[in-house]
Amino acid sequence: MRVYPQHAAFKQIPRSTEKCPSRTVTPLARSRRLAPVHVGIFLVAWAWLGAARAQEGRPTLYVFLQLDVKPSVLEQTLQKQLPGMAVTVFGRFRDFQDVVATKRPDAILAIPPLLDLDHTKPTLQGAKGGKEWEAYVLVSAGGSTQPTSLSGKTVGVVDLLGHDGTQAFAVSLLKTSDIKVKRVAKIEDLLPLLEFSAADAIVLPGAVVKRLTERTRLPLAVREIPGARVGLPAVAVLKPTIRDTVVRSLQGLDAETKNMLGIDNWSAR
Amino acid sequence: MLHASKRLTCLGLAAVLSACATTGEGGGHTEVVAPVVDPPSRPDAPLLLLAMPPSADFQDVRRAIVTEVKKNFNISTFMVTAGTTPADLAQAIARTTPACLVLMNNATVALYREYQNTHRNDKMPPAVVVMTSFLEELRGSLKNTTGIAYEVPGVTAFVDLRSVIRAPVRRVGVVYRPRFRAFIDRQKKLAAREQIDLVAAEVGKEVDGQGLRAALHTLLVNEKVDVLWMLNDNELIKNAQFLDDTWRAEISGARVPLVVGVPNLVDPRTPLGSFAVVPDHEALGLQTANLIFDLEESGWHADEHDVELPLSVKTVADLKQLRDTFGLKEDALRHIDRALE
Repeated sequence: MRVYPQHAAFKQIPRSTEKCPSRTVTPLARSRRLAPVHVGIFLVAWAWLGAARAQEGRPTLYVFLQLDVKPSVLEQTLQKQLPGMAVTVFGRFRDFQDVVATKRPDAILAIPPLLDLDHTKPTLQGAKGGKEWEAYVLVSAGGSTQPTSLSGKTVGVVDLLGHDGTQAFAVSLLKTSDIKVKRVAKIEDLLPLLEFSAADAIVLPGAVVKRLTERTRLPLAVREIPGARVGLPAVAVLKPTIRDTVVRSLQGLDAETKNMLGIDNWSAR
Repeated sequence: MLHASKRLTCLGLAAVLSACATTGEGGGHTEVVAPVVDPPSRPDAPLLLLAMPPSADFQDVRRAIVTEVKKNFNISTFMVTAGTTPADLAQAIARTTPACLVLMNNATVALYREYQNTHRNDKMPPAVVVMTSFLEELRGSLKNTTGIAYEVPGVTAFVDLRSVIRAPVRRVGVVYRPRFRAFIDRQKKLAAREQIDLVAAEVGKEVDGQGLRAALHTLLVNEKVDVLWMLNDNELIKNAQFLDDTWRAEISGARVPLVVGVPNLVDPRTPLGSFAVVPDHEALGLQTANLIFDLEESGWHADEHDVELPLSVKTVADLKQLRDTFGLKEDALRHIDRALE
């Protein structure tokens, strides 16, 4: 998981001005004094190597989902629920794509259009309320009225499939190519598009509209996009020998975690 | 535990301030990281010339830009250091004949401005400026240039704070100097869209502790603001002792969250900032790439493209302070990038 980048300016500077009493230290005395430090370093290194080996031995699950929860929180939650797997959650499509291309994971958890892009078939398909898809909606600022036509309009959408893929995804959902698509990195970045009038409307899964309306005081107009159905999160197992392990582990997720994923059940394929 | 002022000195506040959005450096790490390697060039692809300092934050943005555009553009990265001259930049532009320039930080923009001044009769390539303070104001002195402002809009911070705490976020107080007036006016309009009143108190060009305390006192006591917003302005922060004597002195006991623009002012061990909101550099790279694609589609008329506001941020919260004093919403932890306690 990527650690939040600290502003350089805030890095601790060495406290070189602190006064230390000076005294002569013989090499022997120094080595005796440092012995516990060496042991400590050895133990830490041993533990680290052990943890790394344990991580190596577990099947890897890469996750890329645009949910209304920070990737670090999702990763922590999934890792806790799936101790037998090494879980990595990606916050951005490009990070996910680059890593998948170089380090083939054992399994991927993503929405079906992303699995299609990678020519992989779902082993487990998520469902909610008996449906394996969710409706996407169009949201604009300005109350109950929405633009009658999207022709020539700018529409914000989360970057799910890269530059060309996301453009095609939005065009297929909205059934018009005469739109300008503005990609954002994360689902919470869609709201600023409306706040700054940088987009005429945004497209997002219906399930996250509640959170959006709780966050903002902008008067929003929300309408379901006819036929805009996108598959719910699904799991593709890329290493057949661990299929059963992955399926069993994912099916064992608790209700809260499934809810976080936007599903309430899995169906095996 | 060290006294707050000593601790902040350890954090290198002087360096902090030099990197804030008002210093002319536009932020960025001070340590130099490994040299960059541009992707292999392809024949016939247009070229982007990235002029930037070598430090880490800039490289985060570069990496995201390169990842996004490498299928469509060749990339040439020109590292700007303290010793770089306008002639060096001119050489790089002449050598690469870029379809578009990407300029990162104020020092790089200053070099480019000199380049434009000495090549008045030449047709300027379009330029996209990022990680530079006061871009709206700078833009007037540059031809065929647009970009993305570096300062996080107040409204983004206020809405993020409102979404995690139970206490009201209706009136936000801010102290500013006259040079920030236009910026504050824009912030007021944006905040109003989210039904938040930005209550601004102007202080003089040079800020003394007494004047700042008086302004803060007015906001807290007379204006009864719900939240305070600390701008990234050297004059308002100065040094650790100044922070102790002004901000900390006025805020203690006020039970008002302080929104800051730098993460290291949020530290539960020496509480001051409650909530920091800072640019998300990788997402800024994506936004920059989108802007480049937009410009390409519209014939590279950068001067016809408004300066954009940054869309993506990261949040750092003093969880103890927020929970104990302002109440956390049930799912708050899901929406904070870095929670400290």
